[in-house]
Amino acid sequence: MDILLILIPVAIGLGAVFATLFVLAARSGQFEDLDDPGTRILHDD
Amino acid sequence: MEAPATGRCPHCDASVLSPTDTFCCSGCEVAWALVHEAGLEAWYERREVPGQRPEGLSGAWDAVEPRRAADGSCEVSLVVDGLRCASCTWVVERLLERADGVERATVSYATGRTRVVFDPARTDVRNLAQVIADVGYSPRPLDAPAPSDDLLGRLGIAAFCTANLMLLSASLYAGWADGMEARFQALFRWGSLALATPIAMYAAAPFFQGAWRGLQVRAVGMDVPIALAVSVLYVHGGLQTLAGAEGYLDSLGMLVTLLLAGRVLEKRGRRAAAEASAAIAAALPVSARRRTVRGVEDVLVAALVPGDIVEVGAGEEVPADGAVVDGRAAVQMAMVTGETEPVDAGPGTALVAGASVISGSVGLRVEHVGADTVAMRMADAVREASSRPLPPNPVDRLAPAFTVGVLALAGVAGLVWALLAGPSRGIEVAVAVLVVACPCALGLSVPLAVASGLGAIARRGVVLRDGAQLLTLADARTLAMDKTGTVTGGQPVVLGASDDVLQLASALERSSRHPVARALLAESERRGLPLALPEWVEEVPGVGIRGRVSGRSLVLRSGGPGAVLLEEEGRPLGLVRLGDRPRDDARAAIALLERAGLHTVLLSGDHPEVTSRIAEAVGVQEARGGLTPEAKSEALAAQPGPVVFVGDGLNDGAALAAADVGLSMHSGVTSSLLIADGVVTQAALRPVVAAVAGARATRDTVRANVTRSLVYNAVAVGAAALGFVNPLVAAVLMPLSSALVIAGALSVDRRLAALEASWTSS
Repeated sequence: MDILLILIPVAIGLGAVFATLFVLAARSGQFEDLDDPGTRILHDD
Repeated sequence: MEAPATGRCPHCDASVLSPTDTFCCSGCEVAWALVHEAGLEAWYERREVPGQRPEGLSGAWDAVEPRRAADGSCEVSLVVDGLRCASCTWVVERLLERADGVERATVSYATGRTRVVFDPARTDVRNLAQVIADVGYSPRPLDAPAPSDDLLGRLGIAAFCTANLMLLSASLYAGWADGMEARFQALFRWGSLALATPIAMYAAAPFFQGAWRGLQVRAVGMDVPIALAVSVLYVHGGLQTLAGAEGYLDSLGMLVTLLLAGRVLEKRGRRAAAEASAAIAAALPVSARRRTVRGVEDVLVAALVPGDIVEVGAGEEVPADGAVVDGRAAVQMAMVTGETEPVDAGPGTALVAGASVISGSVGLRVEHVGADTVAMRMADAVREASSRPLPPNPVDRLAPAFTVGVLALAGVAGLVWALLAGPSRGIEVAVAVLVVACPCALGLSVPLAVASGLGAIARRGVVLRDGAQLLTLADARTLAMDKTGTVTGGQPVVLGASDDVLQLASALERSSRHPVARALLAESERRGLPLALPEWVEEVPGVGIRGRVSGRSLVLRSGGPGAVLLEEEGRPLGLVRLGDRPRDDARAAIALLERAGLHTVLLSGDHPEVTSRIAEAVGVQEARGGLTPEAKSEALAAQPGPVVFVGDGLNDGAALAAADVGLSMHSGVTSSLLIADGVVTQAALRPVVAAVAGARATRDTVRANVTRSLVYNAVAVGAAALGFVNPLVAAVLMPLSSALVIAGALSVDRRLAALEASWTSS
């Protein structure tokens, strides 16, 4: 069971990396507009 | 590059006046050339809907303040009206990006919101708006975007930490029953504290900021008990962890995560509504043509003085209030009277700024300019009326009592236990009361139900700007409606005409912008009548339209009220009867509103006789005609309140603002209505019924939720004060009370449907 002492912090640490990425994405406005990027792919320029 | 003459305008697809013309008007010609110069002609191939005639730029663009960024660039937000397909967003983006000084432009097809980043040294907001207006779209200024408070990021962190906290806590609770090695217990407890720290320090920051702002102005809102609970839970959990005992930090995580989720939902709903109805400045022209001894000169409207004589021609807007001195014209006064039927203006007729000339031209002696005009006084009245404060949210009214009550109870219970069983037991009980008094359910009860209610009515066709109005709407006792454009379709429609008369009359009118022409053309299209191209036509202001179609000389003139008469060389061929028809669902919707217990009133600027005829047709309880815009808002004040007003035009602005809840009909022609608290997004009255049902469902849900959370708190706090609270019980009760509130919020839609069904069947 000693492995838990390592694995739990590692798992939470990995999760924290993704949580941080989410915060960065939210701050850069990626979730502001969820409808338009879908139509944007139709513009070929 | 030359456009081929095909009989239809290559930009807006309207038919052209004479077979040799290429464009329908010079505006379209300019727009077409602009699109080609920018190398964007592909738009004409890929668009799904024809473009629109450029109507010129209006609005108070000089007053728009762009937001300045640190690197010296500026950002401005606008709303662009008239985007019909994805290609429209493409062409507007590209035109903006190719304009001088623009760094980046993004246009949202869904909302029309446009963000432009530009170099303030090379261009300004007015130039950017002009670029958009030149190709036929209508830009409007949008309030500067609120600085981001990063709620979504905070919610992400809170949710992540809480999920992990729960795993650790669940293990600890399991270990409590089965036994657990001390080192794992220590790991899980210290891990919990580590996970709770970002929640308390980062994710919960908006609650602390809100509580601090509230305390500075001596107002205890919901943020104060929340901030208090977060502090107590965190400090208590930290001390327990240090002492090697259970911290119960998972309840802290639950609290912050759920409350943040409520805030995010609330904010999204409010932003969507604000975008659906962004404020607009009164649309007055900026330049005018003034007569001088040498001829006619172009001047800014601001330079006009009373006594000047200005010329106003077809397609132009009247720049100032005044009286006609010469000429004749058909003038649409919709902005003031709300009636789309043009009036015949000749010498002596008083015209107001903002009225638009449909055909003919007049000389106008200026009497009032700028702030003295009827339009600007109306705009002022609107601004004044809409600056009144919102009613406070019912839970914010409860919050001070809640906070004070919990604090007092904790103090008293702590003191009593300290006297009975010593000071350490006293502190323990006081903390237990504070920990178990959960503002979570109370704090969630309103935002969740309101967000759910706003969503439910938006799906049924009414977008409200703010949740507070939803609760006012629930208590409304009177529903007042404008006639033209609200209860009726707003545009004249053909009520009766023979096929051949209609066919000839429509051929004459095929290039006219007169509302009668639109009615004739729509009816011909419905009946599938082919229209000949007239050899020539001429609009004769004050008379009608004459011309030659298929070798016959025809005149279409007024044939008495509500009719036009077609004549061939002085001999009448037949009448076309026209009228404004109530909306198909008006009668049914008004009957439902009456069953809902609302007093229904029809208020109109139109003739009292016409008003009462429509009132009878749709079955309202009270009807008043011949009202000026000011009289309409006075009539509202006399009704039992709260009063809901549904209107459609700028002329209803004062009434919309004066009503407790003002709803504007969204008409595709003018998206003018922006003072209103909400917008009816369908051309129908049925959504108003759904909005009333949704508002009442929300009110009932809020009441049920507040009751649930108060009952929970009374029981839990009481038990804690009596010293009965086992921490495990608190840990189970807290999420349970929140779950009840969430389940309550989800029931809004069901309650709405049940209410509507009860009105339909009774």
